[in-house]
Amino acid sequence: MKNAVEFKNISKNFPGVRVLNNVNFAIQEGEVHALLGENGAGKSTLLNILHGLYTDYEGDVYLNGEKVHFKNPYDAIVNGKISKVHQETNVVKDLTVGQNITLGYEPKKGCFVDYKNLNDTVNNILQRLNCRFKAEDSAAFLSAGEMQMVAIAKALFHNSNVISLDEPTASLTTKETDALFKIIRELKANGMTVIYVSHRLEEIFQICDRATILRDGECITTLEIDKTDRDELIRNMVGRNVNAVASRMQESRVQEETVLEVKHLTRNKVFYDINFELKKGEILGFAGLVGSGRTDVMRTIFGADKKSSGHIYMGGKHVHIRNTQDALRHGIGLLPEERKTQGFIRYTTNTDNIALSCLEKFLKMGMVSNDMKLKNCEHFMKELNINPKIPDFQTQNMSGGNQQKVILAKWLSTNANILIFDEPTKGVDVAAKAEIYRLMEDIVASGKSVIVISSELPEIMGISDRIIVMCEGRKTAELLPDEFSEETILNYAMGGKKDAEIQA
Amino acid sequence: MLKSKLKGMSRELAVLAALILLIIVFSILDPVYLTPGNMVDIIKQGTINGILAIGITFAIISGGIDLSIGCTFAIVIVAVGQLTVVGVPPLVAIVLGGILGAIMGSINGILITKMNLQPFIATLGTMSVYRGLAYVFTGGWPVLGIPDNYRHVFTTKLFGDVPNSILVLFAIAIVTHIVLSKTRFGNYLYAVGGNEEAAKLSGVNVDKTKIIGYSICGACAAFAGMIMLANLGTGEPASGEGYELDAIAAAAVGGTRMAGGKGTILGTMLGALLLAALKIGMIVIGVQSFWQFVVTGIIIVIAAYFETIQDKLSAMIYKKQEKAAAAAEK
Repeated sequence: MKNAVEFKNISKNFPGVRVLNNVNFAIQEGEVHALLGENGAGKSTLLNILHGLYTDYEGDVYLNGEKVHFKNPYDAIVNGKISKVHQETNVVKDLTVGQNITLGYEPKKGCFVDYKNLNDTVNNILQRLNCRFKAEDSAAFLSAGEMQMVAIAKALFHNSNVISLDEPTASLTTKETDALFKIIRELKANGMTVIYVSHRLEEIFQICDRATILRDGECITTLEIDKTDRDELIRNMVGRNVNAVASRMQESRVQEETVLEVKHLTRNKVFYDINFELKKGEILGFAGLVGSGRTDVMRTIFGADKKSSGHIYMGGKHVHIRNTQDALRHGIGLLPEERKTQGFIRYTTNTDNIALSCLEKFLKMGMVSNDMKLKNCEHFMKELNINPKIPDFQTQNMSGGNQQKVILAKWLSTNANILIFDEPTKGVDVAAKAEIYRLMEDIVASGKSVIVISSELPEIMGISDRIIVMCEGRKTAELLPDEFSEETILNYAMGGKKDAEIQA
Repeated sequence: MLKSKLKGMSRELAVLAALILLIIVFSILDPVYLTPGNMVDIIKQGTINGILAIGITFAIISGGIDLSIGCTFAIVIVAVGQLTVVGVPPLVAIVLGGILGAIMGSINGILITKMNLQPFIATLGTMSVYRGLAYVFTGGWPVLGIPDNYRHVFTTKLFGDVPNSILVLFAIAIVTHIVLSKTRFGNYLYAVGGNEEAAKLSGVNVDKTKIIGYSICGACAAFAGMIMLANLGTGEPASGEGYELDAIAAAAVGGTRMAGGKGTILGTMLGALLLAALKIGMIVIGVQSFWQFVVTGIIIVIAAYFETIQDKLSAMIYKKQEKAAAAAEK
């Protein structure tokens, strides 16, 4: 068998982190090759290198035995005959399907677009893919599955030999997924090479020939799908060195008292029937894959999104949280995942960012006192070791870890006794990570409670008193420390329903 | 402390420097320019635009815009004009006029928040509605015979040559400055304009904050209108056309960020005065009036460009500071 794609000694650094380390493997012509790994294992980075999105890397990429180095994604599509179908497919809704597929490479007649030729060519491709829509149709009304087809049609339009699918089924219905698999098998029969990234292991067994597993930026192994099983795949995905694991320095502070109880919380089409309790002094972890609905549950509890049904009780009392002001009043604080876009105010100093949620505390004769804000800021800069210790510094210019601490200081300035951390260590360097873990421990030691969402399994296992696992908008497991293991969590996070029933 | 305060006001200082430079240049070209009488003329010229610009600064800081202020201005002119004509005491009419303006502003705010409309489109709509209502109200005719007791409220000169309208301008500037820098609402307004999602996730009532901002904008337009009414002595429903653009220009020259989250009353005031000084200066030295538009436009573009350069510079300075801080830590 000929190799369609070969990676030789690929390494890639981002500022301060090595995301890929000496990756070597090959993808054979005409196979469906799965790329597996946890969030952050380096799958997307590797694909981005292959498709010319990242041009600055070490090592060599070979395509059909020839060394290539694409300048940009278009270079890869047009000259490399290699296309990527994105996780979120890019469709311009104001154009027709045909215009979308040929965008930038429309057939011309003189200086005008030759629409007849364009639509005929595209309709031929759509027919091959058994699509029910036509080139002339508006792209505005396509479903997620149809958009996926448009992206595949685009790859065919450019005569691609290699096509990567990044989480193609994430937003598809079962029926659409079946249709997609049929197409993939047909493409394969025609000699197309397919790279398939998915977190859904069942799909890997349905559609893939071989699987390469990445972990922490390294290529672990390549396995024949016929000769392996789910357990072996998961074992290879999670096995890691123990040193990097976050751990608790203080003993557990969990008390009997329930501070928050969520019953049957549902937000239609996002998550369903979420039930859990949070104890005083507890660090409750929420695990699951990206997109499993963890963040949405927290935003709903915090009043940032509307619930469809369900109830929230605090200290035994039924509470109505309709907006974020209500949440603030009831003592709930949220440290959002996207710090830059959701966490702090641009062009604004640390002093003002920290003071924002509790300005009523800094009133002097009805006016906001700058001195009191400043004192509060200086207090927390010292207490949380925020660097640089310059109150006038604009928060947007600080490092990720320090930004996180500024946001934490904002909530500690209020009377919040339940703090929700959404991916608190995302984009934060190792030293700052350890500091954030210590701060979380200090918070629960002072009698407050913490909910933490994290996609890093060692992190969530290291710091949580209890872990709730979610998969596709549903709670699939609730684990106590003696049940914590990466295999178990990953199994539930990937929808291992059978086991959940047995244990429940 | 003073140094850091001044650093925070670099934009205002730059506008002030430009204003002083302008006055010096015009004074050299024609010494008449520097007389106290002419200085008062400049401020008089800047009064109406200044008050409108202060109002629109609130809308812009919140991350929006209010195109309807020129029309709110006109409605208040004809409404307050009619009230005074039928004998309502001046001060009562002024209070009612202010409330009317605030209500019209809050309608904009409600459209923008509760109906989730783009500020540009929402106020483009109300702009036309308010203008139409002003015409409907008077049947297209101006309101005539504004009583002197009303006009005197704004035109009397309590201090030397300075009419009361200028005192009103400064009073509004001081009050709005305090509102913006010293109240919770003011803090929230900057937060909402700087990052609406983050403000919401910090427990800020975004809708309420915006609606109050637009109400203040409307109330300012009302006061500007009432001064115009006193100055002219007739209530013209067509008045205020295009004034929203002059107000935006003053705010922009004064360093208000069009995307929201940044801007000060002091900056806007200086911006309005700069544009007025430029206009009067060109009249004094006898520049053909068509050229005045060209020069004003160029000033606005330069101010906007200055803004982008300033952003890049401050980002560079911060990076250097951060590096220094990191080095100091090690």
